[in-house]
Amino acid sequence: MEKMERRKFLKLGIYSGAGLLVGSFYAFSNKEKSPDVKKYEDLLQYDWGFIVDTTRCIGCGACVRACKIENDVPDSFFRTWVERYEISDKEVVRVDSPNGAIESFKKNNFSGDVVKAFFVPKLCNHCVNSACTQVCPVGASFHSPDGVVLIDKKHCVGCGYCVQACPYGCRYIDHRKGTADKCTLCYHRISKGESPACVNACPRNARLYGNLKDPKSQIRKILHKRRYGLLKPDLGTNPKCYYIGLDMEVK
Amino acid sequence: MKDKLHIIVIFSIIVGIIIIAQIADLLLKPASFDEFGHYRWNAIGDIQSQKSVNQSINTCKECHNKIYQLHEKDAHYNVPCVDCHGAGNLHVAYHKGGNDAKNITSMQAVMKKEYNLEGCLFCHRKLAARPSDFPQIDKEQHFKFLHVTDSTTKCTECHSPHEPVFLLTDVNQSRLHPIVYRCNDCHNKAVKNSYSDVPNHPKIFECKDCHSDIVNDFNKRPHHNYVECRTCHLFHKEDETIGRIYKNGNAKFCLLCHEKKSFKDDKYPPKIEWPAHISKIENIKKTDEKICLNCHANQIHKMALSNNKSPHGSNWRSEHKNFAFNKADKKMNTSCSLCHQQDFCFSCHKVEIPHPEDFADKHKEIIQKKGKALCFNCHKTEFCKGCHD
Repeated sequence: MEKMERRKFLKLGIYSGAGLLVGSFYAFSNKEKSPDVKKYEDLLQYDWGFIVDTTRCIGCGACVRACKIENDVPDSFFRTWVERYEISDKEVVRVDSPNGAIESFKKNNFSGDVVKAFFVPKLCNHCVNSACTQVCPVGASFHSPDGVVLIDKKHCVGCGYCVQACPYGCRYIDHRKGTADKCTLCYHRISKGESPACVNACPRNARLYGNLKDPKSQIRKILHKRRYGLLKPDLGTNPKCYYIGLDMEVK
Repeated sequence: MKDKLHIIVIFSIIVGIIIIAQIADLLLKPASFDEFGHYRWNAIGDIQSQKSVNQSINTCKECHNKIYQLHEKDAHYNVPCVDCHGAGNLHVAYHKGGNDAKNITSMQAVMKKEYNLEGCLFCHRKLAARPSDFPQIDKEQHFKFLHVTDSTTKCTECHSPHEPVFLLTDVNQSRLHPIVYRCNDCHNKAVKNSYSDVPNHPKIFECKDCHSDIVNDFNKRPHHNYVECRTCHLFHKEDETIGRIYKNGNAKFCLLCHEKKSFKDDKYPPKIEWPAHISKIENIKKTDEKICLNCHANQIHKMALSNNKSPHGSNWRSEHKNFAFNKADKKMNTSCSLCHQQDFCFSCHKVEIPHPEDFADKHKEIIQKKGKALCFNCHKTEFCKGCHD
């Protein structure tokens, strides 16, 4: 008799446990209302790419300041930043980016002769085979149909795997919201036909974005004319950010 | 049958778990997840609905058209408004009115009016990494050259950010000029000797190589001790072989050095009060842009440019064709490109030399386009006979 009661008790426990679980699932399920989105098929006409002309960059940091204010980027984190490479006559290379070059650069690193020096602005490469989207455990980091790597901040749990996975150091954890964050190529601007904030702010036309799927677009014309390089091409991430006049020292 | 009961129990527990997991998947997964891929489709709409902050120059121009027109003509034409004045979303929303303007105070809507010295130096500070053709300022040197005594002087005291170099000509209409090589295109340190004193130094072009009479004239007059050609004739490199020369002869440019200002050394160089200086003088056109030169041209150099030392010597045409044209097989020499790059002649003449490929068909059109005056520089009536017997 005692045996039977224990069995009954266990059965009851399992059933009520399952019921509670399903009930709580129902309670936590969120009915989202869908915002206005362009049709999936419309987005497929685009494949956004980016060109950085390192020969034109003057390292003024206008792009860094514009990006910071456009996307409300927290202090000491950057979605785009400018690096300076200086090579002295003794073949010593120094690379710096004081506070992301948000207030430009103050003075030369070498007091002696500099044989070669240049600026390289960096941002998310929006890789075709991106390492960061592959490691996301919840599917919060994804490729949009028009080829931009985005983060779903409502879905992100802030585990930080993607920050570690990105070989270019383009992601950070926004500690105010507890989510990962990165360059969206100003998705809210390019979807309205405006240029990204950094492109809009560049005084030397060193940055250019465009549709790689349109054979008449300016970005395709420039890629056919100029010699360009990619960052860390050996990793096979297939970046879509093309660097004109890239030096061997840039990693 | 009795033995198999525990198997049925285990299976039913597994099936139960799977059913619960499926229910969880149905209820907890966001509605638009997996619609077009392993992500929430509605996230795209969420990201798109973010408000843009930085305004483009086209938005600014809608209201500030006058300043836009001024800005468009000068060297800063490529610098968007946001770089100096700030993002401007509040400013635009406030002045457009409507629902967006409700929570914005008039203080928030004010744009930055001016930039301090540091702001200009973000772009114009002298750094080794900046491209050599970009105008760069070493603050100490610049102030020393202009005899500015107050080191906190703002750039805007002399330079208007909307028309920083006071060009007389539109950027796109100014004179095209073959490239001028400067010492610091190759040398990083200041050069003490003239290149002609250094044995085996490759030939570089200086202004005096072609414009010798005007340079000689300039060297006799008071300015030559203090300024060089490119202080007034700004040079902007367009690509490897060609650039544009801007002539600065207008009053504003002279006043950069010669206007009396509190932050400048008042003894040197000679200073004048402006516009008090011309207010007493009658019979002059005060709106004339080159007003200073009307009286003071003798302080600089003679103003008529005669390019008597053309890059081609007087007997160039008769001699050069012997190199260029192979009479034996009646063809142009292909070895020209050993010295001359493909666009060498093109960089000055703006026509493929000797003939454009479609010369026979399009010769008439080209004359119409270029104008006969340009053609007659080289082509006198006997010109064709020079090569074609």
